[in-house]
Amino acid sequence: MNAPVADPAAAPTGPSGEGAIVVLDKLSVGFGDRTVLNGIDLALRPREIFGIVGETGAGKSVLARAIIGLLPPGGDVTGGAVRYRGRPLDAFSPAEAGSYRGGKVALIGTNAKALLDPVARVGDQIARVVRAHTPMDARAARTRAIDLMREVGIVEPERRARAYPHELSGGMAQRIVIAMALAGNPEVLLADDATLGLDATVQAQVLESLVERSRDRGLSVLLITHDLGIVRHYCDRVAVIRDGRLVEEGPVGDFMAAPATGYSRDLLDAARARPALQAPLAAGDRPPLVDVRDLTMHFAVPGSVLPIKAVDGISFAIAPGETLALVGESGSGKTTAGQCLMRLIDNTDGRIFFDGRDVTDLKDRAFRPLRRHMQMVFQEPYVALNPRWRVADLLAEPLALVEPMTAAERARRVAELLALVHLDPRLADVRPHALTAGEQKRVGIARALATRPRFIVFDEPTTALDIRVRAQIIDLIRGLQSSMNLSALFITHDLNSVRSLAHRVAVMHLGKIVEQGDTEAIFERAEHPYTRKLLAAELPVDAEPAAAAP
Amino acid sequence: MASARSSRSVFARPGLVIGLGLLALQFIAIVFAPWIAPFPPTEANPLDSLQPPNAVHWLGTDEIGMDIFSRIVFATRVNLLIGFAAVALSLGVGVPVGLLVGYYRGLPSALVMRFFDFIQSFPVFVLGMALVAVLGQEIWSVVIVLCMLFVPMFARIVRAEVLSLRERPFIAAARCSGAGDFAIMFRHILPNAMTPVIVQVSVSIGMAILLTAGLSFIGAGVRLPSPEWGLMVSSGAQQMILGIWWIALFPGLAIVLSVLSFALLSDEAKRYVDTGRGGRAR
Repeated sequence: MNAPVADPAAAPTGPSGEGAIVVLDKLSVGFGDRTVLNGIDLALRPREIFGIVGETGAGKSVLARAIIGLLPPGGDVTGGAVRYRGRPLDAFSPAEAGSYRGGKVALIGTNAKALLDPVARVGDQIARVVRAHTPMDARAARTRAIDLMREVGIVEPERRARAYPHELSGGMAQRIVIAMALAGNPEVLLADDATLGLDATVQAQVLESLVERSRDRGLSVLLITHDLGIVRHYCDRVAVIRDGRLVEEGPVGDFMAAPATGYSRDLLDAARARPALQAPLAAGDRPPLVDVRDLTMHFAVPGSVLPIKAVDGISFAIAPGETLALVGESGSGKTTAGQCLMRLIDNTDGRIFFDGRDVTDLKDRAFRPLRRHMQMVFQEPYVALNPRWRVADLLAEPLALVEPMTAAERARRVAELLALVHLDPRLADVRPHALTAGEQKRVGIARALATRPRFIVFDEPTTALDIRVRAQIIDLIRGLQSSMNLSALFITHDLNSVRSLAHRVAVMHLGKIVEQGDTEAIFERAEHPYTRKLLAAELPVDAEPAAAAP
Repeated sequence: MASARSSRSVFARPGLVIGLGLLALQFIAIVFAPWIAPFPPTEANPLDSLQPPNAVHWLGTDEIGMDIFSRIVFATRVNLLIGFAAVALSLGVGVPVGLLVGYYRGLPSALVMRFFDFIQSFPVFVLGMALVAVLGQEIWSVVIVLCMLFVPMFARIVRAEVLSLRERPFIAAARCSGAGDFAIMFRHILPNAMTPVIVQVSVSIGMAILLTAGLSFIGAGVRLPSPEWGLMVSSGAQQMILGIWWIALFPGLAIVLSVLSFALLSDEAKRYVDTGRGGRAR
């Protein structure tokens, strides 16, 4: 998989390495008095795929913007320079800078749908970029646009070219953005978390075609990511950035085998799956705590006879102390299933039993006493916390379900909960917007734990978190599982965390459970083709790159 | 840091300074009217009628000899009382109604909304004349006419906010935490729905002052000799053609400045909200 470095002159490392296309020479970038990048030395050689890894706020995106010469407002290069083929960027005339951006170096951003013009057909948008770089008539540009779409793996490009962005899936939109980036025939592609938020299978396809195109065209790619699995599978070299400083740089193989710095080791450890959990003793003998039979949730579609079958007759049971992972891609209905369980929406058919009692038809008022035993941790931590409430109030709210308590008791319990999820007790007085994503997630978990429930639905507890924060959350949940004998439904598409957390796995696809079994068995001997596809799309940090390549 | 920034920016914003200045002027007029005004506002002196502005009657006198400056100062009380009362009452009714109508989306809510459509389909002035005919030419009739206009407006604003807020995950999370309908409506949704209402309050006070003046002008508002800006413009309008401009002009200017102050303040409120300092759920 490693591309041969064809240019012998590129072999010596170092910022001034000859033959390198883009060189960062002690580059520093500041916003006002805040230094975001601090003396970064990097060299991007021809035909290499270079991974940049770092956590949120490390300065990765600013690095990409500095290379393309478009720093966000307020940002300035405070030291050093970016050189393209030996010439510093600031020596470029405006016309040169214009053809440099897009023509020599192209940027692919996150959230492709937001990058596309919502009122123009995607084919026209690509054609517009083509004509911006090469003068040609509209018809030729259109043909070129369709060729580019075919090149990035879009089937039926003629038909797709007439689509508007909202008609495309996230993966398709990302491919369009890649086609736009390729339109100016650049030599360097900067992919800034380009596949963030895409489903695993789609992410693998998009990355695969991006890397393939780049190898075919002999491009250099700077792949900015926080996913070490991506680095492992697609990059030749890697650099780790932390707080605007370069921590470590080297070939991916060496880096994965023996990272040189403690920080890199931490990152790698955090990205690895935890050892498998002990299955709760004699789980089969005890009656299940949660028993779901033929759960069905159909949403009526206005103007259509056919409903959307979000959940289409699923059955599963969870024993006390057991964790079941509900795995599937977005749109598979797994979150809807969780909401039905919590009685947030009324399922159209099927029964839900909790502790032997049929709770399916209970009205909200009758169900409320049961809520202290069943809680949910919501997917997006920020939007699931009332922005106007202080953390202490958010944590105290569910306590009303337990028993009346005095203000002092409540304050003590809030402090206990904060300690339980390893949060600073001083955070009790702040509002959610002052918290980091990881802290918000912890508040969400603490809130669910407030009533000491017996069953918790975790909805995507590990998505959109930095590597180390994600590992901390996983460790936290593992600790709770063993110390509280908690039963849990763990809804996720993050297979790595499933390995670390779940005793059993149910794979959901288009509203149905296609396969169900012990975690070990599913990962080792998946039978259903969809499960295999899902497993194949995973980019584990440990596996050999060759194993994942088709 | 936030407080340092805001104290600096108070004076960096001409709109805010002018708006607050005019508002302060109006409050001074309301509180100190008897000391500021050189004459009693309803004292007619036929011997001094139709005097142009001079040293004794600073802004002149009207056709029955009442001092225009004194009347403008005292009218601030009437006009602002009507404006504030109408907006406060409308808030008190419109906000809870909007909250309920947005939260429970059944037949009763639909009926309330259609009733609002019904009220709002009447032109304000027709409604005003009809109500004044029934209730009599009192200050409170004007307040009720304005409420008819503002209650549906506030209710619709709140309802629109509630419709989007009720689908947000933090509401589902609150339900999981055991919050009932009442707690969800008043403790979770309402505080997050109030931001656009607060912006609208200032605009509405300005609108109320303008409409009060308009209603008085067509004779559906306050009765003579009560000092009221619209009424004064109305009586002055008849003299305008004779070249007697001061009777209508000065109360007209008072209306302009008063409405301007509330319009400026609502712009500032909007900017304050938009910059996200309210910590809005968005």
